[in-house]
Amino acid sequence: MDTQWRVYEVFHQQSRGEPHVHVGAIHAPDAESAIVMAKEQYGRRQACVSLWVVPSDAIVGTSYEDVDIFDHGTDKTYREPYGYQTTKRVRAQSTKRPRSMRETEGATG
Amino acid sequence: MTTFANAESVAGEVKDALIDLIYRLADDDLILGHRNSVWTGLAPILEADIAMSSLAQDEIGQAVAYYTLLHELGEDDPDTLAFARGVEDYRCASLTVLDRGDWAFTTVRQYFYDVYKTHRLAALTESAYVPLAQLARKVRGEQKYHMMHSRMWVSRLGDATDESHQRMQAAVDALYGHALGLFEPTPHEAVAVEAGFCVAEADLLAAWRAEVEPMFEQAGLTSPGDAKPVYGGRRGAHAAELQTLLDEMQQVYRLEPTAAW
Amino acid sequence: MIRCDHVVTNDKPGDPGYDENLAAFEARIARGDKVEPGDWMPDAYRQQLIRLIHVHANSEICGALPEGGWIPHAPSLKRKLALVAKVQDEVGHAQLLYRAAETLGKPREEMIEELIAGKAKYSNVFHYHAETWADVAIIAWLIDAGAIVNQRMMAEGSYGPYSRALKRICYEEAFHLTHGYDMCITLAHGTTLQRDMLQDALNRWWEPIMMFHGPSDKESKHNEILMKWGVKLKSNDQQRQEFLKQYVPKIGELGLTIPEKWNLRFDEATGEYLYAEPNWEEFINVVRGNGPASALRLRTRKMAHDDGLWVREALESAARDERVPVSVN
Repeated sequence: MDTQWRVYEVFHQQSRGEPHVHVGAIHAPDAESAIVMAKEQYGRRQACVSLWVVPSDAIVGTSYEDVDIFDHGTDKTYREPYGYQTTKRVRAQSTKRPRSMRETEGATG
Repeated sequence: MTTFANAESVAGEVKDALIDLIYRLADDDLILGHRNSVWTGLAPILEADIAMSSLAQDEIGQAVAYYTLLHELGEDDPDTLAFARGVEDYRCASLTVLDRGDWAFTTVRQYFYDVYKTHRLAALTESAYVPLAQLARKVRGEQKYHMMHSRMWVSRLGDATDESHQRMQAAVDALYGHALGLFEPTPHEAVAVEAGFCVAEADLLAAWRAEVEPMFEQAGLTSPGDAKPVYGGRRGAHAAELQTLLDEMQQVYRLEPTAAW
Repeated sequence: MIRCDHVVTNDKPGDPGYDENLAAFEARIARGDKVEPGDWMPDAYRQQLIRLIHVHANSEICGALPEGGWIPHAPSLKRKLALVAKVQDEVGHAQLLYRAAETLGKPREEMIEELIAGKAKYSNVFHYHAETWADVAIIAWLIDAGAIVNQRMMAEGSYGPYSRALKRICYEEAFHLTHGYDMCITLAHGTTLQRDMLQDALNRWWEPIMMFHGPSDKESKHNEILMKWGVKLKSNDQQRQEFLKQYVPKIGELGLTIPEKWNLRFDEATGEYLYAEPNWEEFINVVRGNGPASALRLRTRKMAHDDGLWVREALESAARDERVPVSVN
């Protein structure tokens, strides 16, 4: 008979406001015992305010073979801050304004 | 209630009663921690091994804290108290002294002790001896975890399989009288209660029974109705097992009792 | 799906697509990318890692025994606490490592049963008895130091789960090392009895320590492929030299001497230590299970495993029945 118990993945939160981070896995017969045992295997040294355990077989993930689904096939810079040239454009506009106005802005470069 | 801020504020029979109380707390934790520590590397499964080892560390760690309070009250330093007293000077209850037995014996003993300790600490957080109340508040979190751990094991092993039930019930039968011995009255009790250091042993025992019975019902275990309390530990009358334990514990220390190790 | 399920797909030389897959696999390692459980990997890589991590995990769980035997005898409260914590860490490391090996497809229980049956190896140093309290100090200091040299290197290896486990293990080993060093300092600065005890422990442990990183393997063909696959990053001799350079001066500082028969000396020209070669036949004999404490170690592990069977079965059964657990709140 297999007596090594099922596997639970363990997630550890170091302090409120931080995300729960995956730190490893343990063997446990059920969720409550998993918490009791994970507390000492994964919470005995670092600060911890919350632990989660999740049965490993409840986790569904992508395959590394499909890593290309995360590639960007076309230009996606329109959804990034660096995809815009706001400063450059404002400056270009300001050079067209009368000289006196530019001076009061104290333009340094 | 009058409180006692520090070691200087107690004297006479009040001080004697306080010292007796703290010895009981310290020695229970040291001896049970010693027994539990022996599981490290040998428990039924790796995860259980790690958790049991933490319990042992917490218990020995709490013993150190109690010995430190005693040292402030004029007793020897913690290592001398732990390693250099004669067997009759220890005030631990027989429950903590018994050899570790199987995993059922260990977890039932731990459960009995944890229920006692939880109620003991809850009362001590209100102790009139301020350093003791502060310490009790500090270690309550550890104790809460010990209680979760004990309940987890007893509730599951009590009626999981025929074998686990038999082993757990045998442990209950063997240990129940020793558990009652945790509440052994001492000659200092009246003074200690009067001073507000702790609550009466009989009150703790009532709280203990009220918690153990419903748990046993859920776990399919039965308290032996005729169990007689095993007394003696609180006045230094111990079974031979304690001397054997101390010989083992003091083996290296005795090679050079005055040296640092 | 990311699972530990071992899906064999054309992972042996000659299988369709093997060469292309191997090229991509080796390119990934050359880039410094880690290999993860769901990835294609050569069967030889998988088997090599399972063997390696299995031996490493066995060494942790067997390594808990010689020191664990001294827990009841620790001579001060601080030493008692630290020793319990250290041995607990070894058990914790075994847990982490068996898990890393499980992600390659081998169940933990099978690995533990192979160990107990004498079919799987563990480190040479744990085949010896810890005879005195000073042995505990030497083991925690010098054997953990040797282990750190090895584990820091392995933490840079190519297999993600093993590397992650080792990062945490190295952190905890740093406590073991300091705890061991602190014990050695105390004994070295202590009474004549304590100093003699420490020197005696060093004398007995020096040979197993010299053998700890394994026989010379600089030239081996096998080593070349392991290096290429990021399974091994330094030769055994390189690791041994690294250990000697760091710790021989510290051993001297404590007034301890390394037994003369080793003829240990620093060679300025090569910047390396020279020494009399250990008896490698003995090493092989010891790791095959013929060391002074080998039988005892397996007997103890087997006893713990057998005595715990009813507990594991009971909880397995309680969980299978979907029994409503009693709240622990």
